[in-house]
Amino acid sequence: MKPFDPERRDFLKKSALSAGSALVLGIAWSGEIAAATDTTPGFKPNAWLKIDTDGLVTLYIAESEMGQGPFTSLSMLIAEELEVDWQKVQVEHAPLDPAYGFQGTGGSRSVRRNWKTLREAGAVARQMILAAGAEYLKAPIESCQAQLSRITHRPSSKSVSYAELVGRAAEMPAPKGVALKQPEDFRLIGTPVTRLDLADKLNGKARYGIDTKLPNMVYATIAQSPVFGGRVKSFNDSEIKQRSGIIDCFELEEGVVVVAQGTWHAFQARKALKIDWQGGKTAQLNSDNIIQRLSDETSQKASLILQRGEPIAQLGSALKSINSEYRLPFQAHMTPEPMNCTVGVENGRYRVWAPTQSPTSAMATAVKALKALMPEFSEAELEARIEIVTPLLGGGFGRRIKQDYVTQAVKIAHRLQRSVQLIWPREEDVQHDHYHPLTQHRLSGSLDQAGNPQVWHHLITGLQSSKYGADTLPYDIPHVRVEMLRLDSPVPIGPWRSVSNHYNAYAIEHFFDELARAGGQNPLELRLKLLTESRLNAVLQRAAEATAWHQQDQQRILGCAVHSSFGSHVAEIVELIRLDEHKLKLGKITCVVDCGIAINPDTIRAQLEGSVIYALGAALKPPIRLNNGRVEQHNFHDTPILSFKETPPIEVIISNSRLDPGGVGEPGVPPLAPALANALLSAHGTPVTRLPMKLNGAS
Amino acid sequence: MDLMAVTLHVNGSANRVEADSDIPLLWVLRDQLGLTGTKYSCGIGICGSCMVLLDGMPVKACRITAAACAGKKITTIEGLAEQADHPLLKTWLELQVPQCGYCQSGQIIMAYALLSEKHDPSADEIDQAMSQILCRCGTYPRIRQAIQQASEMIRAKDLS
Repeated sequence: MKPFDPERRDFLKKSALSAGSALVLGIAWSGEIAAATDTTPGFKPNAWLKIDTDGLVTLYIAESEMGQGPFTSLSMLIAEELEVDWQKVQVEHAPLDPAYGFQGTGGSRSVRRNWKTLREAGAVARQMILAAGAEYLKAPIESCQAQLSRITHRPSSKSVSYAELVGRAAEMPAPKGVALKQPEDFRLIGTPVTRLDLADKLNGKARYGIDTKLPNMVYATIAQSPVFGGRVKSFNDSEIKQRSGIIDCFELEEGVVVVAQGTWHAFQARKALKIDWQGGKTAQLNSDNIIQRLSDETSQKASLILQRGEPIAQLGSALKSINSEYRLPFQAHMTPEPMNCTVGVENGRYRVWAPTQSPTSAMATAVKALKALMPEFSEAELEARIEIVTPLLGGGFGRRIKQDYVTQAVKIAHRLQRSVQLIWPREEDVQHDHYHPLTQHRLSGSLDQAGNPQVWHHLITGLQSSKYGADTLPYDIPHVRVEMLRLDSPVPIGPWRSVSNHYNAYAIEHFFDELARAGGQNPLELRLKLLTESRLNAVLQRAAEATAWHQQDQQRILGCAVHSSFGSHVAEIVELIRLDEHKLKLGKITCVVDCGIAINPDTIRAQLEGSVIYALGAALKPPIRLNNGRVEQHNFHDTPILSFKETPPIEVIISNSRLDPGGVGEPGVPPLAPALANALLSAHGTPVTRLPMKLNGAS
Repeated sequence: MDLMAVTLHVNGSANRVEADSDIPLLWVLRDQLGLTGTKYSCGIGICGSCMVLLDGMPVKACRITAAACAGKKITTIEGLAEQADHPLLKTWLELQVPQCGYCQSGQIIMAYALLSEKHDPSADEIDQAMSQILCRCGTYPRIRQAIQQASEMIRAKDLS
């Protein structure tokens, strides 16, 4: 994000905001297609906030709200410095505009990258209101104070509300520089405030992308090739077109589209499609052979990610060595709201309701799709004809960073030249995800006579795999070599909550326990001895105390794991309870997080609970499997997620500090699976080399 | 498919719609009546995001035809939310249960049905009822707390 620039303070009035494209073209949107363009009077000092004449504060949040809480956390940053009454704050997604920089939500970055910018935006506005208030009260500004949406002259206690100052504040010059509050003066930050998106999520009024309704809108769905990259050879279009409620049926590059009067009619017609597919990039591949096949075909060599100490080959054979190979499967996102996108079409312009993690990417995607269909227009001309609107997202987890549904919806709308909503049925969503990649990890390690690890070697081979999470081994081991062979993937791969940290942390943290046990050491004690990151050490120490780590026995078995990612440090301990000789059950899961300063403790707790449950599902439930080039799974019955009764008690401990904030949406995911695997290793004596894990019996 | 006229009593008002004989209630609510609080997520009766009350009983709206609901009393989240002082809505708010919120209509409807039938459900009964509604964000621990606290509020009222 660009640094805050007060010179852009009246940007909302002047710039060609996406809504302003109506003016450019001289055509107004009609009816409900028109988004609510705010023309009411108010104080709009910058792109992030507006105070209207009733004192209502509207904040424009440029990160996608998909449950992880930026509507609330980021609003707290603005409101803290703006000194407004939280009860008078409302929030909406920002329009797509360069003032906000790249609009894309991911990498647990929302708070981190807005931490300074949004407090400054609030402070600048507050200073302008303060100046207006001092003028109104005929008092020196130094003796006035802003608090709870009022400016008060301290000596006389005379005060005036922000609402009354809206007009004057707009005339005040923006200060060139503002001092930000010190943490001890925070009034909102650090308190569990009420979520700003809460009320409408309890009464059915919250509007997700799938809830968009436009006048005369039709409904479309799509059938894409089950084998990735396959093309349509022929299909029964005339039969489909004769069905009741069907408006059109046609082929796109991506598959066959059915357009109908209602979603149900479209879904039923999709089921009745008989499509002859041809080709495809994955035809002979399945989950068991794909790594081997692609490794054989590639001319790439493994690249070095991390090297310390001596080259591995030169080390003596006197050390005790162990080897392991883990394989981690494809995983699907399973966002509760399936992929969808609604496009309003009027007079050659396109308004796109995209439940996306990146409005900026959605715009680029829409421009690209239209450019292919209307090459006579320049990209800039096309961009002026498109508006991206971001509704609420029914889950994201990385899936909505990809924009395939936007491409399809724009193409369909262009062809029909009418408003249309594209909805993928769940089956399409499961079979055409951008999956967590399948990866293989070859690990070897050596110990000295005292059982201390001396050598660590990790080779990652994965489909579009990434080094993050394996590029900084947090342990003081003298000889380290980490390598990765990144294979081009014919199966779509995308970011999945915590991305590569999920598989890399599994490999590192589970193998660490294998090594510790081979050397006769307590894995938690060995971690505390070797961890080089003091914050990681501290969270593990705290987790050990919270779980009474040293009070384990045959009935109560614990496993621990740690991982730093997205600027935060997390330790998790999983408890297994032995019910009888053959049966274990999950006990409590303890999660300690150091995410620097805790902005909204309630959101942090919710995100960590959710991360543990998300990761536990991936560890215990059947994964996505590729068979003959196609994904075998279809819906929640064969791609189950963790259910209510399967969720164990979870305790989240927040280790608060004054350090800059770290991310909270993802860092709770990576330590869970290895902590559970380590508990199982302790219980059964064998490592967990494949997912899903089984609590009882060999995995 | 045959179109037929069906009168649906939703949230206290009668709605006459032309509907296909086999169209699930879910799609009539969403696409024809504009009641989008009832959500589509799996379409095969597993996830529970489309749970509504039919004569007070919890029913997955993707698994019952609109025609079969004629003459019965349908309550969706929009209708239920009118009882804003219901203990469940209060505890749901206080504990800030929702994250993305997409499954929450189903969760609240199910919890309401559970507590309507039994003011003091056991942990097992809560498990059985609530495991019918999936949540990808992982709000389950808070849902459990919200139900337990609402149950206490209802029982305190029963006693007074």
